[in-house]
Amino acid sequence: MISRRALELATAILTGSFGVAVVVQSLDNGIGWSSAGVDSGTFPFLTGIIIVLGSLYNLVRGVVPAATLANVPIAITSIELRRLAGLFVPAAIFVAAIPLLGMYLASALYVFAVLALPRHQSVPRALAMAAATALALYVVFERMFQVSLPHGALAAAFGF
Amino acid sequence: MDNLGELLHGFTIAITVPHLALMVVGVLLGILVGVLPGLGAPNGVSLLLPLTFGMQPVSAIILLSSMYWGALFGGSVTSILFNIPGEPSSVATTFDGYPMARDGRPTTALATAFGSAAFGALIGVILITFLASWVAQVALAFGPPEYFAVYFLAFASFVGMGGAAPIKTVVALAIGFAIAAIGIDTVSGSVRLTMGIDELVKGVNFVVAVMGLFGIGELLVAVEEEFHARAVSSKIEWREVFRAIGRLPRHSVALLRSAAIGCWMGITPGGPTAASFMSYGIARRFSRRGRYFGTGEVEGIISPETADHAAGTSALLPMLSLGIPGSATAAVMMGGLMIWGLNPGPMLFVDSKDFVWGLIASMYVGNIVAVVLVLLTVPVFAALMRIPFVIIAPLIVIICVVGAYSVSNSYLDVVMMLGFGIVGYLFKKLFYPLAPLVLAIVIGDKAEDAFRQSMLMSKGSLGIFFANKLVTCLIVGGIALLLLPLVLQLARLRRKPAPSANETDPEKVII
Repeated sequence: MISRRALELATAILTGSFGVAVVVQSLDNGIGWSSAGVDSGTFPFLTGIIIVLGSLYNLVRGVVPAATLANVPIAITSIELRRLAGLFVPAAIFVAAIPLLGMYLASALYVFAVLALPRHQSVPRALAMAAATALALYVVFERMFQVSLPHGALAAAFGF
Repeated sequence: MDNLGELLHGFTIAITVPHLALMVVGVLLGILVGVLPGLGAPNGVSLLLPLTFGMQPVSAIILLSSMYWGALFGGSVTSILFNIPGEPSSVATTFDGYPMARDGRPTTALATAFGSAAFGALIGVILITFLASWVAQVALAFGPPEYFAVYFLAFASFVGMGGAAPIKTVVALAIGFAIAAIGIDTVSGSVRLTMGIDELVKGVNFVVAVMGLFGIGELLVAVEEEFHARAVSSKIEWREVFRAIGRLPRHSVALLRSAAIGCWMGITPGGPTAASFMSYGIARRFSRRGRYFGTGEVEGIISPETADHAAGTSALLPMLSLGIPGSATAAVMMGGLMIWGLNPGPMLFVDSKDFVWGLIASMYVGNIVAVVLVLLTVPVFAALMRIPFVIIAPLIVIICVVGAYSVSNSYLDVVMMLGFGIVGYLFKKLFYPLAPLVLAIVIGDKAEDAFRQSMLMSKGSLGIFFANKLVTCLIVGGIALLLLPLVLQLARLRRKPAPSANETDPEKVII
């Protein structure tokens, strides 16, 4: 269970730290006025400052909940959280597997895993869908539009 | 009339067999992404973008814009039949569309929605036809300060009229600017904000951001609530279609008012979503049958639909004539324009007449094609909604992954896309607006360049933004819009005892 307040805080901290990173990085490029005009770090520096200030404001608003925030004390229930994880974790594993397995194998395994493991579909049907996905990707991208998708380290090791 | 002659010439470009075929393909793909939750017009258009690189710019824009019309229509189909908005901008259509369909009048609801949507789009296109070239002519005299002022006004109007919490809008905008600044600086050639990752020198492509923010983000929001598509009958009775469209003129006040709201919100970038909510809210307040809203009122469908499409269409006006997109999807299309080697802005009307007028003419034709196709295909796409979400979700993930990868064959883009997905989810959940973020990524560089060029002209004095009447007006207008939320809040504090219960939860407006 995640409260609306915690979510607001986390997001404000996330945006705020991005703002700090932008400010720090843009200092390297120089800020202010030089012979060549406005230095290249100036504009990012200003946006960074705005992000930090805005995030601080949102942070405070999150800590001191206004009337609207009090209406929704719980932003994500534990059931919802499980559903979110059920979608996101496999997707993240899929993305992580691409450099090794390549797009085709990874996406086929991904489709098979999310359909067959929670028993949404029978194993043969999940297999068929996985194969169809990989094949469709191959036909559309590699053949029709000649966009080469990553084949992966494994395929390279086998000499494809 | 000059414009009419140009328009006729445009029709000779738009009405050719290959272009009509592209419209059909575009509209069908658009309805598809509009119907599927998790895929919307912005990422649908950006998915298609890499496939248009080999095309003529006119053909490419016809394909992409047709997809946009299709998506706008497709979003209404699911809103009405399933109570699931396929697009953020069609959320307001669910309020009265679904109750009417549930009461056994799905055809009436759909036909009313499509009819008023087509009317809204028509008004938007007519506006573009007569106004776009005039605006472009005015804009030809613009220098960098005027351009910066227009950008400033556009961004300020998001803060003042977007409907989201103003500071959240400011944060979203500023993050977009910072992301736009990543990579090589176009003026000095120095490398900025790479955070120690060398590959970021190439910058962050807006397509990657759109895929994550709108694709993965929306998917995560959708998966939270396990919805069952409880459809009402999706059969279309053709006689009822014509009867419902024939009844539309009776609501001409609502139609015209909503179209005006939509056009205004489309041109001053407020976007279709804000437009449809605003139009619905105003209709409920002013309609004689306002208290029946929410139970299947005809005007409750007409108002958001007309405004939605009027805004979606007229969002292309500032994109064409000023180089400022009026909605997230228009921003993606403008990114496409730049990739095809065109320079969005007033010079477009001088340099690429065929492109501009071909596009405008295709908007007339494309919307007609869209209405016909959407009516014909309602049963097909309604059937699509019965495919379980567990099957659709992984497919959309794969589409987004492949889409992000194919932008520049970079694995880093895929990882960033996933990161943007989390950000998109958090932002949606907490009502940070996404459209200004995307807009800032697309035109952040141009706004910065305009600012720096103005500073070079004035040798560092901000006085250049008040040097003549035009630029002063624009800047003052922008500042006024920025301060608008503050003023409203102060006014509300003054007459404090006003209960806030009767207001339609302002946070709902953005999504």
